[in-house]
Parts: sequence; structure tokens; C-alpha cells
Amino acid sequence: MTAAQLFVEHVAKRFDRREALVDVTLFAQGGITAVLGPNGSGKSTLLRCATTVMTPDAGTVRIDGLDPNRERERIEARRRIGYAPQDAGFDVRTRVFDAIDYLAVLKEIGGDRRRRRTVLEVLDRVGLSDRVGERVGDLSGGMRRRLLLAQALLGGPTLLVLDEPGAGLDPDERLRLREILAERRRTTTVLVATHLTDEAASADTVVVLGSGTVRFAGSPGQLAAHAAGRVWVQAGFPPPGVRSSWQQADGHHRCLGHPPAGVDLVEPTLEEGYLMVQDALPTP
Amino acid sequence: MNTPIDPARLDANWRAITAELDAPRPARTERALRAIGVPSSVVRMVAATPALRRSWYLSIVAVVLLGLGAADPAERGSLFALLVMAPLLPVLGVAMAYGTSADPSHEMQLATPTHGLRLVLVRAVTVLVVSVGTVLAMMLISPAARPMAAAWLLPAVAVTAASLALMTNRPPRQATTIAALAWFVTVLVARVVADDPLAAFRVGGQVAAALVAVLSVSVTVVRRGSFERIEFAR
Repeated sequence: MTAAQLFVEHVAKRFDRREALVDVTLFAQGGITAVLGPNGSGKSTLLRCATTVMTPDAGTVRIDGLDPNRERERIEARRRIGYAPQDAGFDVRTRVFDAIDYLAVLKEIGGDRRRRRTVLEVLDRVGLSDRVGERVGDLSGGMRRRLLLAQALLGGPTLLVLDEPGAGLDPDERLRLREILAERRRTTTVLVATHLTDEAASADTVVVLGSGTVRFAGSPGQLAAHAAGRVWVQAGFPPPGVRSSWQQADGHHRCLGHPPAGVDLVEPTLEEGYLMVQDALPTP
Repeated sequence: MNTPIDPARLDANWRAITAELDAPRPARTERALRAIGVPSSVVRMVAATPALRRSWYLSIVAVVLLGLGAADPAERGSLFALLVMAPLLPVLGVAMAYGTSADPSHEMQLATPTHGLRLVLVRAVTVLVVSVGTVLAMMLISPAARPMAAAWLLPAVAVTAASLALMTNRPPRQATTIAALAWFVTVLVARVVADDPLAAFRVGGQVAAALVAVLSVSVTVVRRGSFERIEFAR
């Protein structure tokens, strides 16, 4: 099994008067690509185009060279996809096992016994094997997120697309999610949309979206480096005009912006690099 | 005699056994459908949507009530109501079970290799079969309704097909509402023009229904790609 090749080229999408995506280009094969951006930046729209459930107004999407505009190729491409949308879920009256089994049927996992085994395997993988007979409505929010992940893992997809998978998960669950994604790094192309920088930190590539355009694409280290020379720590209140500042536990202020002369510059974090990219401040 | 043990095979067998033990028993509806020979994958497609089951129950209750009214030979209005409402029941069932507003897992379904049209057709046929069976049964046990027992079948197919054709360009509930309104208008216009309450169910109406059905099926097949996109599923 090889990781799928995802190629999104010059994609644009508009809803009424709002441009959701503007000339977005993205390539991924293997590893984890995090799409980072604020709410409404076009992350979910990009993921929908990448998973073939939405057709872009312009540009092309290819999954292993397959064109989703052609019916046969779209169906073939979908055999490689595991997708967990942000707002999706299951009817609260459905039993956990039935919900995943239904998606397994749609994913063409044939043979009753094989399908049952596959369903129980993915439920076990996300830690829900002891909940198979319960109603979805009886699960906690975090468990429902894990259920979405379980259906995405069905059939061993080579392109795994997850929209805000960490939302609502407690620290243990987030660790488990990170483990699941990390173990698929080599065999799967993982595309994760998030607005949390700590989720993006474990990715191989980070793509920053802002107002539907790609503001940055590179490694987490390169993103953090965008704030190099812009972060400093000082005693007392920060000077006026800083981008942002917050008081640390030791009472000093950590500031982001144009540093005044003579301050001690420090190593920037991914979050600070992200803020610099979103602000499009020129690097010094 | 020592028999060599293959750990991989042992593990696979163990997993197969635990899967059989751990998987919950299918619901009554599913067991009933399997018992009459419906493939388990189709059963799952149909029974996994509680909204679809709800629409079944509602349509059955509606038909029984209308049928009881139509059983009285003096109540010509009840027979008319039964004939007008019966073709809408399958359509309502489809609309109540398809799209993101009816089914929260719809977006996940779209990303699977199963064609959206196949899914909607499986559900439409299921609702059609249940509704047709119930309505026919009610009409056949009612002496007043018996002569018209089959008169609503073609209109039902036409309205369902028209609804599916409209769904290629409009959200499911909107498409269904348009199809239902068009049906009501057709019945009323035919009634006024021909001065016959059941004009829409006579030969002319049946021919028109057949044409609408053929045209709608053609549009649905040509534009089937719409069932694969989230834009039309809200």
C-alpha cells in the first residue's frame, strides 16, 4: 500500500459573493499535511474539494492522477479516501456498530463476516470497542469525534482527510489521535484541517490559509522561523504597537512585533510564526 | 503428536470468533428484511437511517387512516383524498431520509465509492414498495376504493421520479415540495377542466404520468453526478 498522491492546482470556489478559495495549489504524498487557518479561511472547502464531495469552480484536483470530474475515476479515487468532516455525525438513535457498519457497506467492504471484523477493528483502534451496542446519543462529544475517525479508517485509506479531528477531545484522546496519525505517516497521505497550532506542530508540512488563499506552505520549523527576530521578552509593560503580548509566569512579557532596540530576542514558537504569516508582516 | 501452530492463523481465527460474539444483534426491521431474502448490504443501506424508518411508519399510519375513511361508499371525498395523497407518500419518505439536513452522516456517504444515485434509488424503491403495499392493501379491503386500486400507482412513480429529477438541481426537501405542489395543481386543474374529481387518474392522466416518469428518469440519469455533490444535498 502506497500513500496516495494528492494534487490540488489553482483551485477556486465561490459561494454567492464570498470567495472561499482563491487560486489554491497544494501537493501532498505521504506524511501529515496540516491546513492551518482561522474560522472561515476556507479549510473545510479545501478539504471537500480534495475529497471530491465538492466541485471547484476553477482548477483541478487529482488523486493518484484520477480526475474526480469523470464518474469512473471519481469512484476509483473514493476507494482511496477516508474522510471525517467537521460537522458530520450520526443519528443519535443509531447504534455505534450499525453506524460504522453502514459506512463499511458504502465503502464496499464485502462479506458479512469480513465487514463485521473490519468494523470492530476500527472501533477497537479508536477505543470504542466496548461501546458497540450503545446508541450514538449516549456517547460523549469526544467519543463521537472518535467515531468519525473510526469510519474514516475503514478499508485502510491511502488518503486520510480529517477536518478538525482534535476538536472536543481530551488530552488522552488527542494523544491517541496523534498516535493513530503518526503510525499511518508512511503508508497514507494525511490531510488535517485545524485552527490549533499545537495540532499542526506534529505535521510534516503546514499550509496556512487566510481568506481562501495560501499564505504559507512549508515545515513547522519554517513557519516558526517567520517570526524570527520578532519575538522578545521584557520586564514591565510592552511598548505600544506590538502585535500581541502576554505575561508569562515569571512576570515578564513575551511580545510579538517590531522589537525595540536593546531587547532580548527569543526563539519564536509555531503560533508566533503563524500570527506573522496571517498578518503578512515583512520579515526584518 | 505435536501439531505446529501458526500464530497468524490462530490470531485471525480468534478475531473472527470475537467479531461474531461482539457484533450486536441486528434490529427487528433488519432481521425481517433479511428473512425475506434482501441482501444484508441493502438492508443496512435502508435500515441505517432512522429518518427513513420514521417516514415508513408515518406513511403507513397516514394510508391506514385515509383507507378507513375511503372504506365508506358514501364518502367520495375520502377516496379522492386517498388517491391524491397516496402518490406523495414515497416522495416524502425519500425527502425525509436524504441530504445533510435529514442525515448527519450524508457528507461521509458522499466520499464513499457508492454512487449517491444508487443510495437514493435503493431508499426510493424501498419506500415505494412499503407505500404501494400498504395503499394497495387498504384499497383492496375497501369496496368503494377497489375499482381505483391501481389508478394511483403510475402517478406515484411519476411524482417520485419527478422529485428525484428535481433533486439534481434543488435541495431534497425543496425538490419534493415542488413535485408535491405540481401534483396538487395537476389534480385540481384536471378536476376543474374535465368536471370529474378523478380525471387525473383516468386514461389521459395515466398517459401523462407515464410521460413524466420517463422524462424524469432520463433527466435523473443524465444529471446523476449531482447526487455526488454536497451542493445539492442540503
